Amino acid sequence: MDALGVDRVSVGYGNALIIEELSVAIPKHKITTIIGPNGCGKSTLLKTLVRVLRAKEGVVSLEGKAIHTMNTKEVAKRMAVLPQTAQAPSGLTIFELVSYGRFPHRKRMGRLSNEDYQYINWALEVTGLSDLRDKSANALSGGQRQRVWIAMALAQGTDILVLDEPTTYLDLAHQLDILLLLQRLNKEEGRTIVMVLHDLNHASRFSDYMIAMRDGAIVTKGEPNEVMTCHHLQKVFQIKAELTACPYSTNPVCLSYQLCETDAACKVR
Amino acid sequence: MTKKQWKTSNQLRKEHQIKWSFLLLLVLLIACILVSLNTGHIRLTPIETVMTLIGKGTEQQALILFDFRLPRIVIAILVGMGLAISGAILQGIVRNPLAEPGIIGINAGAGLGVMLFISFFASVSEAPVYLMPVVAFVGAGAASFIVYVLSYKKYEGLSPIRLVLTGVAVAAGIDALMIVLTLRLDPDNYQFLATWLAGSIWGSNWTFVLALLPWLLVLLPFVYTKASVLNVLNLGDETSVGLGVNMEKERRVLLVLAVAIAAVCVSVSGGIGFVGLIAPHLTRRLVGDKHEHILPISAMVGAVLLVLADTIGRWLQQSVEIPAGIFVAIIGAPYFLYLLAKTKD
Amino acid sequence: MLRVNEEKQLQEVKESARPKIGMGILIAGTALLFLALALSISLGAADIELKTVWDTIFHFNPELVNHQIILELRIPRVIGAAIVGACFAVAGALMQGMTRNPLADSGLLGLNAGAAFMLAVCFAFFPGLSYTYVILFSFVGAAMGAGIVYGIGSLSENGLTPIRLVLAGAAVSALLGALSEGVALYYEIGQDLAFWYAGGVSGTTWEQLKVVAPWLCIAIVGAIVLSRSITILSLGEEVAIGLGENMGKVKLLSAIIILILAGAAVSVVGAVSFVGLMVPHLARWLVGHDYRWIIPTSAVLGALLVVLADLVARMINPPYETPIGALIALLGVPFFLYLARKGGGQI
Repeated sequence: MDALGVDRVSVGYGNALIIEELSVAIPKHKITTIIGPNGCGKSTLLKTLVRVLRAKEGVVSLEGKAIHTMNTKEVAKRMAVLPQTAQAPSGLTIFELVSYGRFPHRKRMGRLSNEDYQYINWALEVTGLSDLRDKSANALSGGQRQRVWIAMALAQGTDILVLDEPTTYLDLAHQLDILLLLQRLNKEEGRTIVMVLHDLNHASRFSDYMIAMRDGAIVTKGEPNEVMTCHHLQKVFQIKAELTACPYSTNPVCLSYQLCETDAACKVR
Repeated sequence: MTKKQWKTSNQLRKEHQIKWSFLLLLVLLIACILVSLNTGHIRLTPIETVMTLIGKGTEQQALILFDFRLPRIVIAILVGMGLAISGAILQGIVRNPLAEPGIIGINAGAGLGVMLFISFFASVSEAPVYLMPVVAFVGAGAASFIVYVLSYKKYEGLSPIRLVLTGVAVAAGIDALMIVLTLRLDPDNYQFLATWLAGSIWGSNWTFVLALLPWLLVLLPFVYTKASVLNVLNLGDETSVGLGVNMEKERRVLLVLAVAIAAVCVSVSGGIGFVGLIAPHLTRRLVGDKHEHILPISAMVGAVLLVLADTIGRWLQQSVEIPAGIFVAIIGAPYFLYLLAKTKD
Repeated sequence: MLRVNEEKQLQEVKESARPKIGMGILIAGTALLFLALALSISLGAADIELKTVWDTIFHFNPELVNHQIILELRIPRVIGAAIVGACFAVAGALMQGMTRNPLADSGLLGLNAGAAFMLAVCFAFFPGLSYTYVILFSFVGAAMGAGIVYGIGSLSENGLTPIRLVLAGAAVSALLGALSEGVALYYEIGQDLAFWYAGGVSGTTWEQLKVVAPWLCIAIVGAIVLSRSITILSLGEEVAIGLGENMGKVKLLSAIIILILAGAAVSVVGAVSFVGLMVPHLARWLVGHDYRWIIPTSAVLGALLVVLADLVARMINPPYETPIGALIALLGVPFFLYLARKGGGQI
């Protein structure tokens, strides 16, 4: 069964539909990346998947069940979300912030249980934040802050992790750092990861499955080898790409590119 | 492993800080109460006060303490707590540091409700006091609904600044309407309304305490159970949804709670602004951003603030009594300005 | 090239002005104003025929009671109302043009509260001061209120947006209002101040008018003289510099005029808000964006508005008078909300 799926959904703000009649499935235990130019509807699709936006038509399903019929806390036990612009209130320590990830598992009142502590400490450890746990959350660098939010999502203890541009605003090393962490979570624990990425090469290198969008519709989807072709990149981004093999993975990467002026064929090296 | 072992020394220190804040505020509150008991037209020495409290004072002293000063202090405490908690909730749900029951029009709406209500009776003393919180709630609810609708823009949502701006304007409009309507009242009621608007703690006898107390006893504990929801709401809409908060429902419930608490308080205290603004902010500085701590501590801060303001008002001028609302505004308005300079659009 | 662009922009504004309509509105407005004045004089606790009003003015007979009521009570009052309305409106127009802030109003930006506070101080510490000096206090107060609001506004990390200024104005007004109320209660001068806060013109006397009138005439004439420069300022600083306007001088003069207008008006009527907000918008809508037309039109319409408000205030619940400040706020608040919702709009 697929982890997540949308079936002929239409979503939009007000009367303007951004996505119309779109269907796609997110495979389980894999890293799926959505790519596409600005305004193509990839963030809208992601927000629909995690029920931040409600589809006007169609069904979003989580492990085969329609998501809007489920209790929202139950959904939160299975799927964690990292929004694009997460803002922490100023007076919290990292530990406190990460502990909020346990919200869906807690009763209304009461303290953190032993199980809660175990999850939180594990999340801090995996993200390498154990030593910073008592630091104020807003005294952190961009990379650290992003890891705090990932830790919070991990503390939620879900099989599915959805991230909206987790590497934006980070420098090169920190981008890779985050992506390697996500890869490890996927390989070692079999977590399903869905994200939007802007960097094509990162998307290709770290994904098992890619979805390319343009103008609110899916242009192509499949393994990076299938998606990262000159033909598709031209269709999606209107660029003439020079592709080559990635030295760190089996997937292709884009060496450089030129804006398309004509339909001139791309070269594959 | 036990839970204690999970905690680091830093966390323990923070818990200490919270405990100490609480104790310090408690001591402050008690001190304020004692001073307040001593303050007024007829001065009692501290010894006389204590003697009277343990039942060894003269009849007149007992009358002054138990029938005039004590209920007034109790009301100041309750109202301070209520307004502070209402402010904390509002700041939490709209994620707006400037939100406060007075500023977003709740006080004005409650005032209008109370005014219309008492205009049906020949004088304030004849009006059934127990109904007043209800009436105030209806008025406050209507006013905050209007503010909400007017400041909500499709696709842009609630911008903090716009919400406050609309609140200020609606409050000004309601105040003007009240002034126009007051002239239809007889002079007795008019006088009452003038002091009400200035925010003197006018309802100073046990009847008003009894009218106020049951509401707070029900509402405040209920708010406390929502502390973890408030924590999560603080993280932003998308994160809250991701963590499984039913945003629309929780927001609505909390808003109704905030309006109800502020309305019942204001119905007996008069239009006191800024307590709900200052108290939660001071509290955050003391104990951080977790609502499990913010709610009780800001209640304490609010109580101290209001008892203090009320005492100063009586101490400065015994014959006329300067309303507590004036002192709170003198501290609160500059604080609002400071926050305004810091807030982003 | 740039210069040509700016000239063109100015030209467009001038062309957008509608001199014929402007003239028509000025004339019709003035006529209406006189009609309203006459009505206002004749209506009141004792109704007096219009003919008697006419007689009082042109054939005054000190032995007739009605003539005396008219001369000593009614006429100063309506003239007071008219002058105050014109002042607030012109002050508002100047503020809106100079700062390009559509929400500017002497009441909303703390000037009125400042003036009222200084009045309270004046009554508390210098009782019996002659009106000539009282009015000076009022100017200082207006300057203080404006200074605090703009000071705080410019401290803000996000700059002086119109909405921020209004919020700062609201808080400063709350603060100064609380302070003056405290002063009034403490020094037991509440009675003396009551009618000021309520915003009534009923207490206006000839003596007050004699003191205030010269200030106001100079200020309004000054505003009209400055109006061309205000139009240029209202196009934005860059354009104004491009057109070689001496910005500093114009701004300083306008600020002085605004303070005189607001301070003097408050000393007569109390802290009345929204006149300076509504009237210039109405004027702009009627006569276009040229301040040479906006300012005189605002003066006439502002006078008309306050005279009518005063009339209504007396009619609602005789013999009591409803404070005109409250009445005008009932009109002003919806107008303000509309402007704020539009997102500030364009000047």
